[in-house]
Amino acid sequence: MVVAEAQPDAAPGRPRRLRPARPTGAPRGDAVERSALLLGLAALVASAAILALPRPGAKRRIASAPSIPPASADTRETTGIGARAGSRAARLLDRASALLAASVLADSATEHYRGSFQNSAMYVPLGVSALTLAVSMQRGDRLPRLPVRRDLVNAAAVATGIIGTGFHLYNIGKRPGGFGWLNLFYSAPFGAPAALSLAGLLGAAGQHVRMNDGWVKGPLLAGLISVGLLGTAAEAGLLHFRGAYHNPAMAIPITAPPIAAALLARAALSPPARAAGARWSLRLLTGIGLAGSGFHAYGIGRNMGGWHNWSQNLLNGPPLPAPPAFTALAIAGLAALGLIEEANP
Amino acid sequence: MSERFPGYDVLAKRHTPSWNEQTRRAIDKRLSLPREPRFLGEAEWRTLEAVCGRIMPQPKTRPPVPVAAMVDGKLFEDKGDGYRDHRLPPLREAWPRGLAAIDEEARRRHGVGFAALEADEQDALLHAAQEGRLSGAGWGDMPSAVFFAKRVLPDIVMSYYSHPTAWSEIGFGGPASPRGYVRMNFDRRDRWEAAEATPGHEARAARENSRVG
Repeated sequence: MVVAEAQPDAAPGRPRRLRPARPTGAPRGDAVERSALLLGLAALVASAAILALPRPGAKRRIASAPSIPPASADTRETTGIGARAGSRAARLLDRASALLAASVLADSATEHYRGSFQNSAMYVPLGVSALTLAVSMQRGDRLPRLPVRRDLVNAAAVATGIIGTGFHLYNIGKRPGGFGWLNLFYSAPFGAPAALSLAGLLGAAGQHVRMNDGWVKGPLLAGLISVGLLGTAAEAGLLHFRGAYHNPAMAIPITAPPIAAALLARAALSPPARAAGARWSLRLLTGIGLAGSGFHAYGIGRNMGGWHNWSQNLLNGPPLPAPPAFTALAIAGLAALGLIEEANP
Repeated sequence: MSERFPGYDVLAKRHTPSWNEQTRRAIDKRLSLPREPRFLGEAEWRTLEAVCGRIMPQPKTRPPVPVAAMVDGKLFEDKGDGYRDHRLPPLREAWPRGLAAIDEEARRRHGVGFAALEADEQDALLHAAQEGRLSGAGWGDMPSAVFFAKRVLPDIVMSYYSHPTAWSEIGFGGPASPRGYVRMNFDRRDRWEAAEATPGHEARAARENSRVG
């Protein structure tokens, strides 16, 4: 038999309040909170800067893209896309591809580093996403020497995404429990590699819209982006469910993207002259993706030790580079919308 | 014994994000423990040191963990476990009574105190206590087997393994506060964890351990 003893300095009935311990030493405390906020803001500003770099202003767009073949009555007839709209859509798609590739690069770098690059194939998405990012950042008017190289890179991105999905499924399946919730939550995320495929597809779409060769149809592109949005929302839903939706804002990425996807799909299926609903929902989504990174920066700061403990919390906390995938898809959606509207004046 | 975690020193984590002010305070308190008895009397203390030496023998190649001082500190602060076997008196009564009884038994059998016995004589006496074969008047109603199993072993072993020197020895990372662990799978290691030497790769483990922090 065991008898209870009184404890002079431990009161078992009165649990101590657990607080996220503030980092140590002299002036940290608030400073870390502030730096977390600043970092979040910096991430927002940086992402916004990437978006704003090649300004989408209509006049400059035309002026700065002299080598784009002028729209002829011909091309207009075969593709239904004017040069001006095509140029704008191509730029948007390039930027979407670049942002998505950057998100994949940063995310796979952190997560595969966490996985200690156990399998050397884990280096591949880093290289391929970096290449995809590089070719998407190249100026579109450096045609026509680029196309083959860009096609190769984009094709590599699509293939890497598909093969990566296979690797991730294998990783989930080989664990005890197989495709159970636990492994879906904690092993390699099965939806993540598809983002690299999408980055490749968007990059290819951008290039072929610029080449005006009739490969890219607005409605088809819109359909692809809608599916991409739904898939990304599903992944966010799964991982936010793992996080128990402890913050109401965690519901945003599972509500806003499907709405935008539905509106975009509707615009694709019954092409309107102007799809204001789809446009505004996609614009909103652009901001949501960036704000998501801010939320995630805040989430990292809330972990034990905060940003001072970054070497754990960057890996352990919510993934900083993941939410801008929504921004990228929303930008691509705006491009698709432009193509649809242009084809249905 | 070849080292299993060559070059690993848990105290290297002191000024890294692994520890914070609270962690440092707790560890400092443990490291700055007085080496003299604060609760036990001179004779009991000598017996306790000898018992600790047999229960938790330590290599001569490093400064020893002050196990006896840690047990004495527990008594001094009257830091019970929150529970105890009903056959034992409270912490502060059990230890002095048990130590005195063991010492008394040594004098009865060998004519000298427990601390002055040879190692194998000490072991034989402790075995007798473990098996409940000691029952001098000094034990009172406390069975020697229960004292051995529920006081001697846990208090000494738990004291030993609460010391950073023991943590370094077994590759333990110390308090996971504020930094925990992120690579939770089998056979994975965060770079702030001790690296275990595999045969033939001791140098690599030593190199990795020199970077732990």
